[in-house]
Amino acid sequence: MKLNTHMTVNRIKDEVWEIPSSEKAGMVVPARIYATEPILESMDSGVFEQVTNVACLPGIRRYALCMPDGHWGYGFPIGGVAAFDLREGVISPGGVGYDVNCGMRLIRTDMTLAEVQPKLEPLLTELFKLVPAGVGSKGSVRVSREEFAEVMRKGARWCVERGYGWAEDLASLEQQGCLAGADPSKVTDHAVERGIHQLGTLGSGNHYLEIQVVSNDRIFDPRTAAAFGITGHDQIVVMVHCGSRGFGHQVASDYLKVFEKAMRKYGLSVKDQQLACAPFQSPEGQDYFAAMNCAANSAFANRQVITHQIREGFRRVFGRSAEELGMQVVYDVAHNIAKVERYQEGDLLVHRKGSTRAFGPGNPDLSPRFRDTGQPVICGGSMETGSYLLVGTEQAMRETFGSTMHGSGRTMSRAQAKRSVRGEQLKQQMAKRGILVKAVSMSGLAEEAGFAYKDISEVVESVDRAGITKKVAELRPIGNIKG
Amino acid sequence: MTLQFRFLEDIAVADCAFEASGDSPSELFRAAAQALIATLANPDTVGASWHRVVARQDPELSSLLFDWLSEMVYLKDAEGVVFREAEAEVTRDPSQGIWQLRGTLTGELIDPNRQELRADVKAVTKHLYDVRQDGPRWIARVVLDI
Repeated sequence: MKLNTHMTVNRIKDEVWEIPSSEKAGMVVPARIYATEPILESMDSGVFEQVTNVACLPGIRRYALCMPDGHWGYGFPIGGVAAFDLREGVISPGGVGYDVNCGMRLIRTDMTLAEVQPKLEPLLTELFKLVPAGVGSKGSVRVSREEFAEVMRKGARWCVERGYGWAEDLASLEQQGCLAGADPSKVTDHAVERGIHQLGTLGSGNHYLEIQVVSNDRIFDPRTAAAFGITGHDQIVVMVHCGSRGFGHQVASDYLKVFEKAMRKYGLSVKDQQLACAPFQSPEGQDYFAAMNCAANSAFANRQVITHQIREGFRRVFGRSAEELGMQVVYDVAHNIAKVERYQEGDLLVHRKGSTRAFGPGNPDLSPRFRDTGQPVICGGSMETGSYLLVGTEQAMRETFGSTMHGSGRTMSRAQAKRSVRGEQLKQQMAKRGILVKAVSMSGLAEEAGFAYKDISEVVESVDRAGITKKVAELRPIGNIKG
Repeated sequence: MTLQFRFLEDIAVADCAFEASGDSPSELFRAAAQALIATLANPDTVGASWHRVVARQDPELSSLLFDWLSEMVYLKDAEGVVFREAEAEVTRDPSQGIWQLRGTLTGELIDPNRQELRADVKAVTKHLYDVRQDGPRWIARVVLDI
């Protein structure tokens, strides 16, 4: 086996690998990577370097973890998970990411491919108008500063109260789309000014809105799928990937600056400047947590407004209400977040960066409708290769602080992808394969070509075989909107 | 040689990195701004109906450059603009040991129908961030989160 690291990597189980704490000076705990052998071999050197840097942070418990979609990130690797003691541990914006509560939402429908295909082009055109995407795009929902503060406090609930969604939606969102402890006074004016006009926008990069199909032969667990509203028979579903937009990006930038000073104040040193952190109980740590919760709630609100617009788009094109079309939310889950959760050690601050919560059956934090099944986990692949719906397990609770993968993971640079294919060319190639694309930026489209990512099926196999999430259904793209 | 920039491909697989340089701190600031401008949109497709003066000071030149680029990212979202060009005058007050920037940004409100928009930059990062003087050249390496 040839790995992109000189470090010792021991096999613990078939899909679990460990770098012992003796491997790097300062490691407090070992690092563990979840991956099949081919996936582990494909991981860049940054993963090994960064996950062991995370293992050096004060107050970390058990392991620094990396999921199979892991790749180099800022400070933490993408796919990173780390849990910290509430008294002795730290909080790090680098463990959350710039796009606070970047996450996935899946909406089901009662429609089939045969019904949607003839109107796919007008449907995408309508959604492209209703859900602004691309550089600096502004949303249709205009709010005052006071109202934006309410968005920060209430998240998706604010939207439902204003008519952007259904009351029942909230039961299908992680933490009902509202994290406690959000304090708008901890957010800068700069952050508010960047985000106040962006509710209901996708952004760019790897963010997207996608129309997908679920075939019968791609349902792996029919019983759980049915409990999630996934029935197969070429059923149409809609997936959304986006986060807190400029607001969250600015919160992260603002507090990285604060934390640089706080590190000196508390005598903390880290292996990488992007791992800047502060004791969780310090004023700086608590302020960031309160501001981060504001950004997380704005992201839940963002995806809720987008859901409202998607329902409106379907109504306009198909002439039937979203209720008649059965457009319920399957789930909404964050993959860039830090949250206090209870494990065998007691309450811990769990950072997930490019990693998804994957609570198993019986977890009291889940809405009653998911208590028997476990939580839906939405993993977005590239726009060419498809995505997966999975379900959380008790094993994830025991092994990975209730966490799993979030997507396929990038392997090729944006520049290299652009050199390999032009946006227009890729658009035509995808159309021939039955995937229509609407993109604001053709160069941005080329950057997101399927070949720039790992094979999501292999990544999903890693977590399925490891038992930290189980496959429910594969979702095949037929229409994609990108920034 | 005058101001210039080039994108670095192998530094940030999922994001965008560049190296900017100039014969003076002023040129370096202009070059770095042009790299950011070209990341957001094709500047040749952006008009010049919007202007903003940015004045900053800092004891550290590297912090001043970081703030200059971060301010552009902020203005992109807060004002809803993309940029055509940037001017920058950077001077040092030796008596106070402070670097001073007076920058001017030119651009226009975002209009996807007329402008060739590219990537929406989330943030300027400190990953591998470096500002140095190499002989007569002032050089910066910057990684942008996309």
